[in-house]
Amino acid sequence: MSQQPINIQPLSQPVQMPEGIASFSPEIEAEIDRHLAKYPVMRSAILPLMFIVQRERGYLDPPGVAYLAQRLKLRITDIWEVATFYSMINLKPVGKYHIQVCKTLSCKLLGSDKITQVCAEKLGIKVGEMSADGRFSLSEVECLGSCGTAPMFQVNFDYHENLTVEKAEQILDSLP
Amino acid sequence: MFIGAIGCEPLQLRRVHLENSRSLDVYRRNGGYEAIKKVLDSMSPDDVINEVKKSALRGRGGAGFPTGMKWSFVPKDSPKEKYVVCNADESEPGTFKDRYLMERDPHMLIEGMLIAAYALNAKTNYIYTRGEYKYLIDIMDLALDEARAAGLLGEKILGTDFSCEIYTHTGAGAYICGEETALLSSLEGLRGHPRMKPPFPAVSGLYASPTVVNNVETLTAVPDIIKLGGEAYQRLGTEKSGGTKLWSVSGHVNQPGVYELPMGYDDMEKFIMEDCGGIANGKQLKAVIPGGSSVYIMRADQIIGKDVRMDYEGLVAGGSSVGSGGFIVMDETVDIFESTKNLTEFYKHESCGWCTPCREGTDWLVKIFKRIDKGGGRPEDAQLLLDLCDNIEGKSFCPLGDAAAWPVQSAIKRFPEDFEKHMKN
Amino acid sequence: MSTELIKVTINSEDFQVTKGARLIDVCRDHHFDIPSFCYYADLALQASCRMCLVRIEKMPKLQTSCTIICTDGMVVTTQSEEIEKAQRSMLEFLLANHPLDCPVCDRGGECELQELTFDWGNLEERFVEQKNARAEKYLSPMVANDPQRCILCKRCTRVCDEWMGEDAIEAGNRGSNTVIGTYGGWLNCSQCGNCIEVCPTGTLLDGTYRHQARPWELTQTVSTCTYCSDGCQMSLGSRGDELMRIVARDRYVNGLNGEFLCIKGRFGHPFVNHEQRIRTPLIRYKKGGKLIPATWDEAIRFTAQKLDAVVAAHGSTSLGVVGSARLTNEALYCLRKFATEVVETENYAIADAFCVKPFFDSLGGPLATHHDIRHAKTIVLIGGEPEELQPLTAKQIRQAVRNGGAKLILINSVPIRLSEQASQFIHVRRGSENAAVLALADAASDDLAARKLGVETSELNSARQTIAETQGDVVIMFGGELSSAAQAVVAQMPYTFAVEGRRICLHPLPLFSNSIGALDMDMHSKTLTDVLEAASGSIRALYLAGSLLPEHLQKSAEALSKLDFLVVQELFETETTAFADVVLPAASFAEIDGTYTNNDGFVQRVRKSIEPVSQSKPDWLIVSQLAKELGVDFGFEMSASAVFREIAERIPAYADLRYPALKDESQPVQVKHAVAAKRDLTNELDEVRRAVEGLSDDGDKVGETPPVGHELFKLGTLTDKVPQFHLLAAGNPKPESFAISPLYQITIDEDLKREPAAV
Ligand SMILES: Cc1cc2nc3c(=O)[nH]c(=O)nc-3n(C[C@H](O)[C@H](O)[C@H](O)COP(=O)(O)O)c2cc1C
Ligand code: SF4
Ligand code: FES
Repeated sequence: MSQQPINIQPLSQPVQMPEGIASFSPEIEAEIDRHLAKYPVMRSAILPLMFIVQRERGYLDPPGVAYLAQRLKLRITDIWEVATFYSMINLKPVGKYHIQVCKTLSCKLLGSDKITQVCAEKLGIKVGEMSADGRFSLSEVECLGSCGTAPMFQVNFDYHENLTVEKAEQILDSLP
Repeated sequence: MFIGAIGCEPLQLRRVHLENSRSLDVYRRNGGYEAIKKVLDSMSPDDVINEVKKSALRGRGGAGFPTGMKWSFVPKDSPKEKYVVCNADESEPGTFKDRYLMERDPHMLIEGMLIAAYALNAKTNYIYTRGEYKYLIDIMDLALDEARAAGLLGEKILGTDFSCEIYTHTGAGAYICGEETALLSSLEGLRGHPRMKPPFPAVSGLYASPTVVNNVETLTAVPDIIKLGGEAYQRLGTEKSGGTKLWSVSGHVNQPGVYELPMGYDDMEKFIMEDCGGIANGKQLKAVIPGGSSVYIMRADQIIGKDVRMDYEGLVAGGSSVGSGGFIVMDETVDIFESTKNLTEFYKHESCGWCTPCREGTDWLVKIFKRIDKGGGRPEDAQLLLDLCDNIEGKSFCPLGDAAAWPVQSAIKRFPEDFEKHMKN
Repeated sequence: MSTELIKVTINSEDFQVTKGARLIDVCRDHHFDIPSFCYYADLALQASCRMCLVRIEKMPKLQTSCTIICTDGMVVTTQSEEIEKAQRSMLEFLLANHPLDCPVCDRGGECELQELTFDWGNLEERFVEQKNARAEKYLSPMVANDPQRCILCKRCTRVCDEWMGEDAIEAGNRGSNTVIGTYGGWLNCSQCGNCIEVCPTGTLLDGTYRHQARPWELTQTVSTCTYCSDGCQMSLGSRGDELMRIVARDRYVNGLNGEFLCIKGRFGHPFVNHEQRIRTPLIRYKKGGKLIPATWDEAIRFTAQKLDAVVAAHGSTSLGVVGSARLTNEALYCLRKFATEVVETENYAIADAFCVKPFFDSLGGPLATHHDIRHAKTIVLIGGEPEELQPLTAKQIRQAVRNGGAKLILINSVPIRLSEQASQFIHVRRGSENAAVLALADAASDDLAARKLGVETSELNSARQTIAETQGDVVIMFGGELSSAAQAVVAQMPYTFAVEGRRICLHPLPLFSNSIGALDMDMHSKTLTDVLEAASGSIRALYLAGSLLPEHLQKSAEALSKLDFLVVQELFETETTAFADVVLPAASFAEIDGTYTNNDGFVQRVRKSIEPVSQSKPDWLIVSQLAKELGVDFGFEMSASAVFREIAERIPAYADLRYPALKDESQPVQVKHAVAAKRDLTNELDEVRRAVEGLSDDGDKVGETPPVGHELFKLGTLTDKVPQFHLLAAGNPKPESFAISPLYQITIDEDLKREPAAV
């Protein structure tokens, strides 16, 4: 009867929705459900879900954004305002390997500049750029909590610490 | 990198060097989950809070607020859900202690949270970890599953009728989300903007319910407080701040690392020059920022021969403060103008943009630093920088504004020469 | 808020203030002026601009007075060197990245940032670095945006969320990169433009008035909106004989709507100076012939003769008079006077889609004002779609719920957007709303009602219970779905739910700016349908002031074409004027003096902002001139106020009112509608019950919330003249480039043009 589920369209989304909505495998959907189950309020799962969409689609592309809005019953602007606040959420494509060199003081003191420099030379891109083949992105980021093992960079989520120029080069070379 | 205790028995770091220190099994074989058992068997929530009060434990996240008191602010009678949220956002430059606690001894954190949850009657609890620490979230999730499987988490814990859940939550790259109210906004799926206080989280926090936010190290201290008893724990440290404290040491020292010292360890000079193996490459000490980047920078001559006691009062007397206990040590080759510029860029990048002074102020500061760096310095710039900092300090919505101002103010006052040489054009 | 008084000392003067008062308000009430940008009454606190800093004894550092609730014995300083330095430095910070392009900024002269800067004076610019440049662009056909001017007070995002419930515009990015915007940069919303209104700087700008005039060139005239029955107060900005823009900025006008306006009120005005306005009287000398321009004398004489002839041939009842519910009280009064005193016909009616006469005939309690709605504790909304048809009412409901903790009981066959605010949404079958009224008034009919509504009886119970248990005012509203009998039942609900010490207020939701005035002027001798059905039957000639609504026209087109004589007063040539023998150019609301009566029962002034366009004349004047030609002198000469004086003398509800008494829009006057005594409703209830029994048991319910603007964007005779509305009617497509006005699309791509649908 009137208890039947009625869907209160998040405002003006019909027009605002980007073309196409991302869809995911049952496994991923299950993973997403597990996250949603943690919170009394759906919206709380927005960051975990953004990471999943990024993992699956490379970045938060329009279909991914549309998916999140629909899955979390939010407005498209809600996704946007959150996505743009957090530096780890990408609304633009990033390379398969995202090299993030820590540039904050402790690493700086121990020569993070050189690390950035060698990465830039090796990959042939400037900080903030993505290589033409889409394999690499290079960023300088703020303190990643390995000041005691500085200098360091993160390749996607992996920490590489106590770097030297040579070590950095090896790591870049060793990436499949 | 060194991890260990100096001047006391390792407490928090007791297990970090054990084989498989992460596993439930090792944790249990080394005294793990005894505290929660004791609590469930023989203590009322108020007993727990009292022990914590007696322990003189002060928050290790930076603010140093007495933890027992914070817990006692939670209204018992409130019909609302209560929440314990662990602040594992550790983003303060020079701070990396929480990381190793979670990496090497995740169950200690779980036990600490269980006890807190019991004391505050919280059924659902979250560990908010910065997104970059993904591998730690995975470690915590494994540990939580282990605990769940062993009946230490979930329904009817250890067969008693105490039930509670702990979940991990991920940040996504925002220093400000370490600030407790911003953390709660973020946990609610909003932009990580701080919220107005009052109301304080203890009264209206997560989902407008009573919430306690505690740093990892604060919570991991709780099991020992229960086991040793409040007084005994307090006696490990000083009267005003009990127990031991972890110090993250980085920069130009021979042996950077995470050091567990008794509160009130004296003195700072010995600590840097001996315990940390002295300044690297035989250079001279120039400056130390002892509390993570958000505190006053100290000149060598404020440390050498001044026996600065390493606790809240001692460091204030010494001209700085404990903050998050992140030592950033700088040798004679460092240009303090450069290092201050670096930190100012950090704060500009991390300002959430909510309030005028911090948003515009940090942006402007960085622009000035860059101009000076490019050789456009003017003698009056030192004054300008100081005045801008004064306009930010104490006027921003949350303490990040102050945190951005202090390093600059202290650097200009304590290392005028480093600035002057850039400013005379 | 309690009435208990406490003592607060400000700058060493003592004041008694009500407990719970906000410091910034208190200071301002006592003329200690406190600068602020983010603070905006009745919006969520922000405390982000940090302009409002004051010193409070026993508190560390300066405090933001916008966040401080006064406590007894509080000692405050609002002026000191320390405070001045702090406040000036905040302003300096805000200006650091603010482009100093006031000379080319539309907001120059109305900009709060500019005013403060000039008030304080001697600000030396210490900022010598590069500003963070950001390009100007359009966010939508209505909203232009210059991001670099933004000071991030976030008033816009808050009104969008809290007033409109749309959340269409938000803050993105972080730190000094923070911008106000949307995903993809294009703004899809109801285009109310309230974000523009509340913006203290030139960041959000009226895209339809971009670079057209400077504020100081405009003459501001306070008037009442001509669109819906909420009667928003607005300020018409005119230059010479041109209406340039409409705003509700509190520096010009302080009406019941505050600074709120909807898209129609704010942007729907370009019809006023539109080139298609009828310039002169037009006469069709022979059926099927052309409408030919004529002089007023000629047209009036011609019309008078024709009417005379018809009346002479077929008697006075062969003349019908119909007025539009958008006419002023003055015009409608003159029309009725014309019908009853000049031609002496009973055949006069009002052209309205939803007539609330049955409601007023049984009116059993006070009409709720919009202020009552905002502060009500329970609101019952039966049918209707205020969000689209009475936007101010919708905003008041939303704020009552969100800011006032009111309960909203929503009874509708559509999950309209307000259901997001509803504490109880009773989702009923299409067309079964009357059954809900039956159930509310008569628990005995629950089973029947529930069956027809397609809801559980428990739902009806809990609704009645909520109403019964309410502490404070209850407001009951209803839309056009209700039958006459059901209206009468609702009208008596103040008796049905009467409880000591609380008010049950009623709030009808008619469609037009003067639907209620039309009732008061008693234009309802007959229903429109009666008159139209008689047309070209017993009625040989019709006098229409304003066109017929499409639905009525369709039914009566045939009849109109067969009339001996049809005279129409209009702004534009419409499908109705196509049948007219004489068309008389009427002046629009912006060109006349008069009054409207809104759904609060407030009589509010319509004021002349510009001279009547071309040869057009106020409707009431045309009528009186026609009357004079027919030998009856109304004696109003040229003054609308004379008409109103007679209204006040003849119509009890308006007794003793005069224009001067209506001077202050911030103190609107409610007319004294007669309150009917408690009546026995058996007949009405039976009638409703019979109708309900006739309903099917398996009617459908609309499942989806209709998109924003589904009514607002429909093109009517007036909004059709606003190009931007065509873009919106076409779904507000996102243009290639936002740098240019999206209007270029209209010219680029013709098929975005839409045909007028409704009025
Ligand atoms: C800008 C800012 C950043 C902060 N970052 C952290 C952090 O990364 N980790 C943390 O534990 N506390 C941080 N804090 C302190 C928290 O606000 C809060 O005081 C602390 O989590 C309370 O826990 P505690 O009482 O156990 O210290 C930060 C505070 C501010 C103002
Ligand atoms: S001081 Fe203001 S802008 Fe800075 S982080 Fe705090 S609230 Fe955000
Ligand atoms: S008005 Fe108080 S902070 Fe903006």
